[in-house]
Amino acid sequence: MSLSFNLLKTSEKSLRLGRLTLIKNQEQNILLDTPNCLAYTSRGCVPHLTPDNLQAIPLIDAVSVTLEHFIDIQPPPSTQFPGGIHKFLNFEGYLVFFDVRDSGKLKSVSYNTDKYVSIYTCHGVRQITSDSYIKYMNIYKPDIFASLADKITDETPSLKRIKKSVDRTLKWLDNALSNEGIQVFGVLTGHNNQEERIRSAQETAKRNVAGFVLNGNFLENTSRERINMLKSSLDHLPSTKPRLAYGLGTPEDIILGVSEGIDLFDTAYSVKMTDAGHAFIFSLDLKNDLDSSKQQQQTINLWDTNFRNDVQPLLIGCQCYSCQNHTRAYIHHLLNAHEMLATVLLMSHNLYHYTNFFKTIRESINQNTFFQKAEQFFKVYGEQKMEETKNSTIIYN
Amino acid sequence: MKSALTWKIIAKCSTTKARVGKLTLPHGPVDTPVFMPVGTQGTLKGLTTKQLEELNCQIMLNNTYHLGLSPGQELIEELGGSHKFQNWNRNLLTDSGGFQMVSLLKLARITEEGVEFQSPRDGSIMLLTPEHSMSLQNSIGADIIMQLDDVVSSLTTGPRVEEAMHRSIRWLDRCINSHKKPETQNLFAIIQGGLDIDLRKKCIEEMVKRDTPGYAIGGLSGGEEKDVFWRIVSLSTDLLPKSKPIYCMGVGYAEDLVVCSALGVDMYDCVFPTRTARFGNAITSKGSLNLKSTKFAQDFEPIEKDCNCLTCKKYTRAYIHMHATRETVGCHLITLHNVSYQLRLMNSIRQAILNDNFPSFIQQFFKELFGGKDNYPIWAVNALKSVNIELLP
Ligand SMILES: [Zn+2]
Ligand SMILES: [Zn+2]
Repeated sequence: MSLSFNLLKTSEKSLRLGRLTLIKNQEQNILLDTPNCLAYTSRGCVPHLTPDNLQAIPLIDAVSVTLEHFIDIQPPPSTQFPGGIHKFLNFEGYLVFFDVRDSGKLKSVSYNTDKYVSIYTCHGVRQITSDSYIKYMNIYKPDIFASLADKITDETPSLKRIKKSVDRTLKWLDNALSNEGIQVFGVLTGHNNQEERIRSAQETAKRNVAGFVLNGNFLENTSRERINMLKSSLDHLPSTKPRLAYGLGTPEDIILGVSEGIDLFDTAYSVKMTDAGHAFIFSLDLKNDLDSSKQQQQTINLWDTNFRNDVQPLLIGCQCYSCQNHTRAYIHHLLNAHEMLATVLLMSHNLYHYTNFFKTIRESINQNTFFQKAEQFFKVYGEQKMEETKNSTIIYN
Repeated sequence: MKSALTWKIIAKCSTTKARVGKLTLPHGPVDTPVFMPVGTQGTLKGLTTKQLEELNCQIMLNNTYHLGLSPGQELIEELGGSHKFQNWNRNLLTDSGGFQMVSLLKLARITEEGVEFQSPRDGSIMLLTPEHSMSLQNSIGADIIMQLDDVVSSLTTGPRVEEAMHRSIRWLDRCINSHKKPETQNLFAIIQGGLDIDLRKKCIEEMVKRDTPGYAIGGLSGGEEKDVFWRIVSLSTDLLPKSKPIYCMGVGYAEDLVVCSALGVDMYDCVFPTRTARFGNAITSKGSLNLKSTKFAQDFEPIEKDCNCLTCKKYTRAYIHMHATRETVGCHLITLHNVSYQLRLMNSIRQAILNDNFPSFIQQFFKELFGGKDNYPIWAVNALKSVNIELLP
């Protein structure tokens, strides 16, 4: 098994087009063109989607699985399964990325020590040590795992606490790297402290990691503020390795993240919107004749009674299963009737649309139109956001 | 009356009253005996219509009461009927709405005019008449529609049962008279008469005169003694014309399907397989598995080894245990398996009748499900004895 990352195209700015190549064996390899996303999973399944429905979304090549969902009981019963995590979760055709914490949860209760990290499961708080995490990874055999991190959840941690978090995370990273066989992404910490973020990035970059994980889950901040926080880490990473960021889910987040050189995102946002009854309709390929003085919607809310007799698909022209077969009126009815097919159809569309959004981003980078399209995007989807990006040096310079 | 179906009996069991038929409805063929899964609100518990087609489902149910509330009659008509609304191009059957009202709404009251009930929307008193039920079902547009009947609990005795039987006949006439689409929708009569043999006979005699495209045996599966239940079923299949499909309403447990098929029933429906899936229960030929139970946490076998459904091909019991009742996917996977189980069971029943080895199929089926003689339900033993089948020890 081997994993490699190649930059196919870079610009003088941080924008980049890459390819992650996973060669599993002689018969199987998985190519993941970046920027791209890992499908968010809950308890090892993509929410609401049975495997046939997941397969109907052709652009999903990688999934992100979270140990947090597996350790109500330790060791997890699934560690007894002889065939590895790909087989157990029926993800044999996918790149499986493993992490400890759920990237979809913004905040989690935690109390960490030098020995362990506390994790909140549905059966209460559980502790996981670096050694037991590595042990489980060696049994599950994912393609990549993120090292254990001492994530701070206090609002205003002391500098001492932040330093400790960087040190612990590096120590646990060294432990993970001493284990051979599975590729490791190093998790960057440093919380809101510029110097510590830099130290974490520089120290992690010195090590033999296959990539980096950045946490953009800063609850109250705007897209730009979140990206700026990550930027102090990004500036100190080698360009040759992939960067995965959590907490950047909205189209704005993604566009800004991509322009700062983030390669991988996750789809937790699409799950959140699905559960809220929303369908994505945003696009990077905006028609020139679109009235940019009028703010466009990025999603439609299917709970809205205006859809009760709307026989259009969620999005005209969309090739997903839902749009090819069902109307807004039907999905509105399913939501009202509290029927589970509502989220099946919304998830199918939203993931299809989200993965396609990444595809259009890659195409625009390839055609050197990304910044131009991004500018148009911010114009069409929000005056405020346009102002916000105009002040930035990244998109308009 | 007019009929929008054709019905051909393809094979008959030489021992029991079982038969294999080909029912052709406006939206395609239905192989009988058939189990019809219930998609109450125009959707079958999280399964896509594509998944149902792949399971070879040829007909499913929608409930008139629920569709009448949402999206509502006007809208479903505007949207082109229930097939189009849910993108289901195969057959549909709708009930009259009456049973749902009597069982779901405490305040329902039955008069000669119809079923009076309090609207769950605004609390106003509404009336479901046979004419209104037909009008609703005509708007929904199912291939088979049911008459409004006067439903009494199968535990009720005395003159109320007789009254309900006579009223159901009168209401059938009103349904026939107000049915607007007999060339595309088949109206089935519902036999009433409680557990009283004479009342059942009388009801059948009168309803057969109306010559509806098919007949349902109603008023059962309401907690009556199973030993009485099967006798009413068997009496009905004896007396109803052999040239019409017979539908036993609300039946769906595996052993009931096998026994009733031996008694000559052609169609069934039940919410059980999909409802039980929501609680984490998977149906197997050896009985039900509650996958929530921790004993499955490390069980790396599929739900059923010889099941070819997506769930059994791809996942272990341990995986489903992790998801059962926690993730919608857990529910979808069990629902897929349960519907697949029901349809597979019906297919094996049909194959056994076609090969004329239904008796030995029944013997094997009971042995596998109940483990042996000591566990066989007495009613099933008696019912099967009545059609010349002795179960294995
Ligand atoms: Zn779509
Ligand atoms: Zn199965």
